[in-house]
Amino acid sequence: MPRLTVKNLWANKVRFALTTFGVTLAVSFIVSAFVLGDGLRASFEKVSEEIASGVDLEVRNVADLGDAPPLAIGTVPTVAAVEGVDKAVADIEAADNAVRPIKADGSTISTNGPPQLAFNWIEDDQLSAFRLVEGSPPRVGQFTIDVDSAAKHGFVIGHTYKVMTPKGTVELALSGTSSFGSENATLGAVLMQMNTAQAGELFAIDGVNAIKVKVASGADTAAVQARVRDAVRATAPTVEVVDNAAVLAETTSDFTQEIDIIGNILLGFGGVALFVSLFIIYNTFAIVIGQRTRELALLRTVGAGPAQIRRSVLGEALGVGVLASVIGIGTGVVMAQGLEALFGAMGAQPVAHPTILASRTVIAALVIGVGATMLAAVGPARRAATIPPVAALTGRSESVRLGSRARTASALALVGAGVLAGVGGLAGVGPAAVTVGGTAFGAIAVFLGVTLLSPLAVRGVTALFGWPLHRAAGVAGRLARNNAARNPRRTATTAAALMVGLALVSTALIVGESVKATIGTTYTQSVKADYFLTDNLREVRFPAALAAKIREAEHVTAATGLTYLEARVQGMAAGNAKKQVVGLDFAQVGALLDLGIESGGFDTRVANPVVVSTSEASAIGAKVGDVLTIELPNRSRIQTTVVGLFDNQTVVAQDYLLDNSVLDHAGVAQAPEWLAVSFADAAPPSAIDTLVAELARELPYAQVETAAQFGKRRQALVDNILTMVSIMVALAVIIALIGIANTLALSVFERTRELGLIRAVGMTRRQLRRMVRLEAALVATFGSTIGVGLGLVFGSGVVAALPASFASGISVPVSQIAVLMLVAGVAGVIAAWFPARRAGRLDVLEAIAM
Amino acid sequence: MATGRRGAKADRSEDRIGRNDQPPDGCTITPVPDDPEIEVPYRRSVPLISTEGSTMTLLLTARTPAPTLPKHTSAAASARGATKIYGRGDTEVVALDHVDVDFATGQLTAIMGPSGSGKSTLMHCMAGLDRLTAGSVTIGDLDISSASEKQLTILRRDRLGFVFQAFNLVPTLTAIENITLPMDLAGTRPDRAWVESVIDTVGLSHRLKHRPSELSGGQQQRVAVARALASRPQIIFADEPTGNLDSTAGAEILAFMRHAVRDLGQTIVMVTHDPVAASYADRVVFLTDGRIVDELTDPTPDAVLDQMRRLTN
Repeated sequence: MPRLTVKNLWANKVRFALTTFGVTLAVSFIVSAFVLGDGLRASFEKVSEEIASGVDLEVRNVADLGDAPPLAIGTVPTVAAVEGVDKAVADIEAADNAVRPIKADGSTISTNGPPQLAFNWIEDDQLSAFRLVEGSPPRVGQFTIDVDSAAKHGFVIGHTYKVMTPKGTVELALSGTSSFGSENATLGAVLMQMNTAQAGELFAIDGVNAIKVKVASGADTAAVQARVRDAVRATAPTVEVVDNAAVLAETTSDFTQEIDIIGNILLGFGGVALFVSLFIIYNTFAIVIGQRTRELALLRTVGAGPAQIRRSVLGEALGVGVLASVIGIGTGVVMAQGLEALFGAMGAQPVAHPTILASRTVIAALVIGVGATMLAAVGPARRAATIPPVAALTGRSESVRLGSRARTASALALVGAGVLAGVGGLAGVGPAAVTVGGTAFGAIAVFLGVTLLSPLAVRGVTALFGWPLHRAAGVAGRLARNNAARNPRRTATTAAALMVGLALVSTALIVGESVKATIGTTYTQSVKADYFLTDNLREVRFPAALAAKIREAEHVTAATGLTYLEARVQGMAAGNAKKQVVGLDFAQVGALLDLGIESGGFDTRVANPVVVSTSEASAIGAKVGDVLTIELPNRSRIQTTVVGLFDNQTVVAQDYLLDNSVLDHAGVAQAPEWLAVSFADAAPPSAIDTLVAELARELPYAQVETAAQFGKRRQALVDNILTMVSIMVALAVIIALIGIANTLALSVFERTRELGLIRAVGMTRRQLRRMVRLEAALVATFGSTIGVGLGLVFGSGVVAALPASFASGISVPVSQIAVLMLVAGVAGVIAAWFPARRAGRLDVLEAIAM
Repeated sequence: MATGRRGAKADRSEDRIGRNDQPPDGCTITPVPDDPEIEVPYRRSVPLISTEGSTMTLLLTARTPAPTLPKHTSAAASARGATKIYGRGDTEVVALDHVDVDFATGQLTAIMGPSGSGKSTLMHCMAGLDRLTAGSVTIGDLDISSASEKQLTILRRDRLGFVFQAFNLVPTLTAIENITLPMDLAGTRPDRAWVESVIDTVGLSHRLKHRPSELSGGQQQRVAVARALASRPQIIFADEPTGNLDSTAGAEILAFMRHAVRDLGQTIVMVTHDPVAASYADRVVFLTDGRIVDELTDPTPDAVLDQMRRLTN
């Protein structure tokens, strides 16, 4: 029997090569995710080791809410004085993107994601993460920048540059270039260093973020750690002292978070490719077994047992799976390198690292590739084993059985379980893993269930779409329609892969369109402000006094900044929950945003007023006049009074809006992430231009946009995400098209005699080719119809699960989906190119004589 | 999809070979029903032939030619020096060896011969399904030896009819769709009255919406004969049309073919190895080793059998 298995594989090599493509692709993605991750991780572990190895202890604050507050500068000599401490140095880091250099020509740097960071220069090679490459370390009034950013953005040592800081723009001279570790592993970030004496002032940090400690040689690190803790606890009760191992782990995890995102995306690609491939493998095996019925029955007559037949088929699957996985491992390694080149081209800083093909990677690839192939072949193998010996004489009869009751029941059960899991996942009360896992399981179960059910729809759908074909293409169209409907199970399984692809892409399109529509309506209905002042980088804070300063300008009628803070809310049924709250100017907001006040209002006559969303208010049982205690990041607790309830959370998604006076009371500085500004109706455009120009000069990185422009930019962000998703789905669609080509090639082979007959009675080659292509178009249309239908359901579910601030209603991009279906049909025609050509080349006489 | 209609039209305009052209001199394949002189039985409200066994016997006994039918002597198809060689060198097989033969219009000609005699090859080459190594084949006025693959396809579609031994019908099409298939392929409108009369004649009117898998073997062959007749071809080629049928169903099919020739003026060329089947023919041509060795006119089964015995011995 094993010999027969090998011979069958060889005889069907092209067939199986096509079949394996999907598995190979899936394995490639998985392998490239691992190879890329392992390589980068190894490299970063080395960098982390290099950077952090000299740091024996680190002293720093911890905080319950928001960023940890800095340690007092006086803590540094306290730590240095502890017995067993060799050296203690201050570590001062600016908030992400708070300090940014401006190029010689006045333009700003855009990193497309990676942050721009500033640190103090530590005069100790063992404690500092940076090495001097050229020039000298920064003195007061100077700075250094990492060597790659210097080269990329044209920073020259000795020249003076403007640098944007939280305190405004300053001028600093570039004294030298630095390297992050010996390899300058910045991952595309811009890294600057300032003199320690000046850093706190420039970064607006009152104190130090951490103290890095070198323990004297011979001293017991744990004992020193305990002594340092005791020494600083007296003045700073929330301080923690961690050792080298913890520092190393943190440094590494900072890096690997980024790698993990890339890795997860690749694994996602691999998962989709694998799932889609299962259908194609299943279909190929099912059809090939069908065609070999006679041969298998002959084996039974000469004494092969059912188990032997089953093992023989599974053996073929094993062979296909091993081959596909081995090829996939090879292409995966190549793909990892290709992806890195791609990231490099997109602007990411390449990192030198080894190519690591870990044994774990190989094992995972083989288990996944071989496992999936064999799993898909189990059904066909079982069916092969049930072929009775008498079939050797009676031959094959094409099965057109629609499905047993058990099949329908299990399909419905799958769909039901999938819907439950999906709804449970989308309801999203649990952690992210539960949401993603539940939704993914739900989608897979629904896909499988629908695939089992969809044969029932084949006749109806092909009749519907086949009718115009028949009208347009005559008898070739009619035959194509009949052929597509003759074996509903085969058509359904062939179309399943395309169904999955189109369901995913139309879900993404619907969610994207709904989010975009919400953004669109948000900024027409909820915004009264004329301009938004934003920053295109994450986590940037504008100066606290900016709003007040803008209000002073001529023709400005209202302006406020919005400060986002972490807080704990106590009282009523709030239960000390951690919440993000927003600080804004109650006196101004009414003229800038329409937040849909339900009762009360932005009343500033009461001390410490808070406005709560209606949904939160009903959840905690609060109403206007109730008192809530809000604890802010600096641990101050403020008794606030609910003065109003608001309904429209599309612009501000948070539940608690505090007047800026509350922040002032608590001693929390305003740090607005964005500002809204309105001008008087009669304001001359020149006045607006003047203000915009002035802001641009003072805040080079800020963007001053109209509400509409801001909305457009956020919609463009959605489009970027959609593009990513579309690339992923394009892969699934390519695999699906290979599946269609494969099935059609098998069908053409199966129908050789029939094709010969049609040719004999006068069908031209062109008509025959057209017939095969139209069949493919119908199969593809069937898949895309079901897929888009599922996409509508999935999309509606996701939109319903999203908060109203993301998507307030369902919008279906009808024209895009129609184009998608048309493309799927045309792609089906292209997929059928080779099977059609092959059918056209059939020798009529040989075909009839078969 | 979008190109469908344009393509279909193009087919219609360029693919047709003189379907409605006047046939060449001497070869009057006038569509019989249009000739007022000919008695047209199928236009009567009561069909002459039905599938009922009783009328069948009636028909089988009425084997004298209809007096009104014009006797054609011209050839509907002919071969000159037809030679077909398979393989090369040691494996060379001469399937046809300089065959000269004419198949007369309005006659049922049977080609007989032992296995490997080349009878099927001759038919395939005459029908444009296979190409000669040397020599020529003429269908009406058209020398098909030099015709392109496409011209041959159109020839088969518009001017020839086929009945094979088995697997005659497209399984996804109903009986009526199979019958009109050649016309549908050509994009021409079938002559409804004619098609209906053919269907009546073969007795299929109540099974038209059935798929081949729902029909018996005999019914399937009747659909095949109806298809061959429906497009009113110049010649019908039948390859062992009764080979897969029991004797009753076979006799029915042969009777239809005979009726088509006698009463409708159809030309039929039939390959068979069954002497009884051959006895339905006006003329039997005997092939051995790729050569025509003998022929009989108005044969009886016994005469055919005798001849065959002589040939095989």
